[in-house]
Amino acid sequence: MTLWFLAGFFDYDGKGNLFMNWFLIVVSAIFEVAWVIGLKHSDNVLEWMLTVISICISFLLLLYLTKKLPTGTVYTIFVGLGTLGTILCEIILFDAHFSPMKMVFILSLICGIIGLKYQTSKLEAKEGDKS
Amino acid sequence: MSWIFLIIAGCCEVIGVTGLTKVNTSPSFSSFFMLIGGFILSLYFLSLSMNEIPMSIAYAVWTGIGTVGSTLVGMYVFDEPKDKWRITFIALIIVSVIGLKLVD
Repeated sequence: MTLWFLAGFFDYDGKGNLFMNWFLIVVSAIFEVAWVIGLKHSDNVLEWMLTVISICISFLLLLYLTKKLPTGTVYTIFVGLGTLGTILCEIILFDAHFSPMKMVFILSLICGIIGLKYQTSKLEAKEGDKS
Repeated sequence: MSWIFLIIAGCCEVIGVTGLTKVNTSPSFSSFFMLIGGFILSLYFLSLSMNEIPMSIAYAVWTGIGTVGSTLVGMYVFDEPKDKWRITFIALIIVSVIGLKLVD
């Protein structure tokens, strides 16, 4: 089992390692949530520096991943985890309250973003087939 | 006022994303300037808007405006297809943003 897991982890398939890439999406979403929190709550130089570093890490990771995995899928997971992550952090860490109406509109907003990204990458894939 | 800052932040993000597209296709000083300048301004206005708007709502709306804006730029500047599903999702995002503003 461990061997199988390690083999999967290190197996290079020409697109970078698949398991590693999915793991990196989660990492990039965590950094995304981190800088969103930083943007609102930083109040000294060190915290602002961490915020800027998180912005750079999540941005560069996302750029790298959209080159390795299907763009629509990457964005779906990234936007979903990023938005839900900030909501959960706000509720758990900062005691925020959300009315049901707010949750409904945030969820429909996420659906719209994911749908739009998905449709765009589908159209891009079609364009790629033609040329 | 916070909602105006948030809309400005979304528009600046669109400039940044457009810069990113241009850096990928034809790298030049102006496209790098759009990319870096757009994102810095965007994040600055996003942080201003967060003074009053809860961060998760600000973040979701910011992402939404950025996505809608860069899709519209793609459709009207880079001649990408205007298919009905993309228009439907754009409408869903706009309705959700207006809804969030109204219940805020």
